[in-house]
Amino acid sequence: MKRRRFLKLSASACAALAALELKGTGMFRPAAASTGGSTDLPGSLGAKDIPSVCEMCFWRCPIVGKVKNGKLVKIEGNPKSPANDTRVCARGNSGIQLLYDPDRLKYPMKRTGKRGEGKWARISWDEALDEVAHNMKKVVDKHGPHALAYFDHGASAEFMRGVFKALGTENYTNEPAFFQCVGPAALAFIKSMGYITSGTRQYVDMKNAKAILLVASHIGENVHVSHVKEYMEGLDNGAKLVVVDPRFSAPAGKADIYLPIRPGTDTALLLAWMNFIIENGLYDKDFVKNHCTGFDDVKAAVKKCTIEWAAPICDLKAEDMKRAIITLADARPHVAIHPGRHATWYGKGDTSRHQALAILASLFGAVGVPGGLYFPTPVKKAHSECAECGGEPETPDKSIQEDYYPFASMFGSPTSKIIKASRTGDPYPVKLWGINGVNILQTIPNPYHTMEAINKLDFIFCEEILPTETAMWSDIVLPGATYLERFDAVYTYDLLTPYITVRQPMVKSMFETRSSYWIAGQLAKRLGMDCFQRKNIKEIVEEELQGAGLTLESLDKKGGLVPLKANPYRERKDLKFNTDSGKIALSVEDYADEDLDPVPKFIPTPAPPKGFARLIYGRVPVHTFSRTMNNSWLHNEWPENELWLNDEAASKMGLKDGDEVVLENQDGKKSLPIKLKVTPGIRPDVVYMAHGYGCRSKMLTKAFEKGASDQFVITRYENDPFMGASSHRTNFVRIIKGTKVMDIPDLCPLPPQLPRFQLKKGHTAKTGGGK
Amino acid sequence: MSQLAMVIDLKRCVGCHACALACRAEWSIPVDYHRNWVYRMGPEKTPHGLSYTFYPGLCNHCDDPKCVSVCPVDPEERTFKDPKTGKKKTIAIHATFKHPFTGAVLIDKTRCIGCGSCVEACPYGARYLNEELDDPKADKCTFCVERLEAGEQPACVKTCITRARIFGDLSDKSSEVHKIVASGKAIRLTSKEVNIGPNVYYTGLKKDTHLLIKTYAPHERKWENVKAPTRRDIIMAAVRRLKSAV
Repeated sequence: MKRRRFLKLSASACAALAALELKGTGMFRPAAASTGGSTDLPGSLGAKDIPSVCEMCFWRCPIVGKVKNGKLVKIEGNPKSPANDTRVCARGNSGIQLLYDPDRLKYPMKRTGKRGEGKWARISWDEALDEVAHNMKKVVDKHGPHALAYFDHGASAEFMRGVFKALGTENYTNEPAFFQCVGPAALAFIKSMGYITSGTRQYVDMKNAKAILLVASHIGENVHVSHVKEYMEGLDNGAKLVVVDPRFSAPAGKADIYLPIRPGTDTALLLAWMNFIIENGLYDKDFVKNHCTGFDDVKAAVKKCTIEWAAPICDLKAEDMKRAIITLADARPHVAIHPGRHATWYGKGDTSRHQALAILASLFGAVGVPGGLYFPTPVKKAHSECAECGGEPETPDKSIQEDYYPFASMFGSPTSKIIKASRTGDPYPVKLWGINGVNILQTIPNPYHTMEAINKLDFIFCEEILPTETAMWSDIVLPGATYLERFDAVYTYDLLTPYITVRQPMVKSMFETRSSYWIAGQLAKRLGMDCFQRKNIKEIVEEELQGAGLTLESLDKKGGLVPLKANPYRERKDLKFNTDSGKIALSVEDYADEDLDPVPKFIPTPAPPKGFARLIYGRVPVHTFSRTMNNSWLHNEWPENELWLNDEAASKMGLKDGDEVVLENQDGKKSLPIKLKVTPGIRPDVVYMAHGYGCRSKMLTKAFEKGASDQFVITRYENDPFMGASSHRTNFVRIIKGTKVMDIPDLCPLPPQLPRFQLKKGHTAKTGGGK
Repeated sequence: MSQLAMVIDLKRCVGCHACALACRAEWSIPVDYHRNWVYRMGPEKTPHGLSYTFYPGLCNHCDDPKCVSVCPVDPEERTFKDPKTGKKKTIAIHATFKHPFTGAVLIDKTRCIGCGSCVEACPYGARYLNEELDDPKADKCTFCVERLEAGEQPACVKTCITRARIFGDLSDKSSEVHKIVASGKAIRLTSKEVNIGPNVYYTGLKKDTHLLIKTYAPHERKWENVKAPTRRDIIMAAVRRLKSAV
């Protein structure tokens, strides 16, 4: 038998060789139709194609799974997709290693040790769900519904959110994605332009732009395939690229003009640019007159903000600042002012900074035109009642969602206030957390406070795929199915290349994992609700597809995806914005009504104390937040992060590339060891590391303690006064090598306008933040 | 004669690693090895400005492949067919060989004895000896000729999110690769010491190609130091092969 196997192997090797005799004329003969599971061809050839949707990140590119003998062997982009066609990124290519990760949570578990210890016992699904439902009921009975809080992210979280909402808690959505990331940008554009120009997606037409402005957007380091593709198409077509960033990022390497700005001064730059284009008549007068309100307020607000005023604040050369704004102005209205994504930088001033970007785009008339900001194309699908659980929570007398920040409730309950309420009982006790699709300890500033809060809870559970830090701290862990093993809802894409598609399973659920729909339904049933009780989520998908005149079968015949016609631009005469005036609000009255600045103002954030540098962070293209660090292929590509340190500073400190160091922040919190990357590509007053590393869960065997976590030295935060997001770039670190605590030399003199952060004696600066 | 070739445009490359992962997935490459890689360079000062760029690498399918000349496996005659003209040609090949009509450098796995000579000889580190197999074999990029035959693109080309990888036949004057190479804009990763005609070319901003050549153009004539496997090595290889077959 074995011998025969050997012969067969040899034969197939010969077949492969024979295949080298390229038949026919072209190399690129039309691809042979998928034979539906022929396994004797090499690689992924001959596999069965199953169209679906990626969830290695939230961008959700259409994909096809290549399945041979019931095993997923490869993932490619769905060639029918006008957004990404056959392309998927490194993470998309590596989804298989999430599916087959040996460290996956395999069955429900109950905590047996202390919280955070990661000691568990295997239990049945019935026991796990009974326990969760019992505790939810108990907490509601004892403390009322608002004592429940739900931390959610991604497709897996949607159904369970409905259960929390139906139980009546105002804290049914508490998305770190908004309060730790895009919230301030989303709010700024909603209020100025009437739609969420930057939320999950960014409606900015880089493809047709003649110039592109990126303010600390690291396209290429954060990878969303269609976004990167359009950015590159724009550059290919000759768009000029202006990059503003304290660090020489991947896009900085491609920039025509790179401005290494002092962190925290971006708004000063934007105000000076507004002043410059207004004073020099480089703005679109027709657009401003007919389609904007509040121009005079803006003009007055930026009157004193000259380039010469901003130059020493931003630590930039006035001539470079002028050259950049003239480059952008020359391209108007086809200028892509990228609205930004991760916006929770300094707390105070974050919403204003993105409002300034909205104003700049408006002054250029770069809205609703090719190359500018554009409108989403509504994609028709039916709404299935069955995808919801009903209920509209009442607002309590003292409200976490409403009372702290005037615009928080647009996004949910601010995470920092949930954590505070859980720690202190103020404004009311929060006693139970449900967590789904988000690793809160590696996402939210001051994880020490988060752990303290968890220790005060009556109960905490999570639905997870991997044994993350958050799973370690949970009382009950529910093992979820990955996106490759389940149906979810219908997915629509409303950017430049719209389409409708569905996620469907490629393989059967592994181990005892279950889909989010099933888990939410089981929980609902135990809580006496009748939602999510369809036998199969497929019925919901069919119902939603009906609204688009499709069925699962007809969609499958079309390759799993139907492209649709885009409607991103408007004739000027047809421009109408979903704001009170129907025009873009350059000055936002809603802000003034809440005693907030209606037009952006430069509010300096404290500069690093002597001996410290500001800690900034970003992404590597092969990882999604802290979610993919244990993926064996992705881990192998980029196993640990590095600390970027300016070469001049390093040389003064006697440090060299590759040295292993530890960071200590202003509160005395230390990082895991991290290796130095010494480079001229970063300012001396900041250090940088990629986010997501420094895993603290031993059960993630590949990722454990690889690199350092930025999150564990981000203990100090301030809240955005508009919507309550928590800042992440308000921490300062110095370097410890061996036992030596080293000061980072002060190589960037401060102008008098910029105060330094005041260290408390012995580094006991107050941790945490608050209003 | 045709020569398959690739041009990688560093201006388009964002260093996302999709190519490396698509290759790993397509050919089930164990994580300790690679056929296709992305290394990062910079930010570093160059005479043309600050550069932060990437080295997406793979087998160069060289004009003068030293991996082929060091292969100790006795040549055997084989007949190849020109995919364009149908013309046939019989030549004697080692276990690794350069295809006479496509120019792809390939490995006949049935005859490879796993001695590792070719791995040592390659100045680009493009080959590895897969020791995860009971009967270790040399392995490397094939330009996905198996996929080309099925009408598919190379896996790395198909997934490249910015279309930075341009693939084709250098002898075909209408091909994009030919046009770019003929324009003189593309560079090869060579040095005074190592100039064996790589067929992967790079284009990009001057600062980026400068840094690429400075950092990764090989200087060591590694093939000159490859020791031929001893008789014992060859016998051991035969034993391994038999063992894994039994």
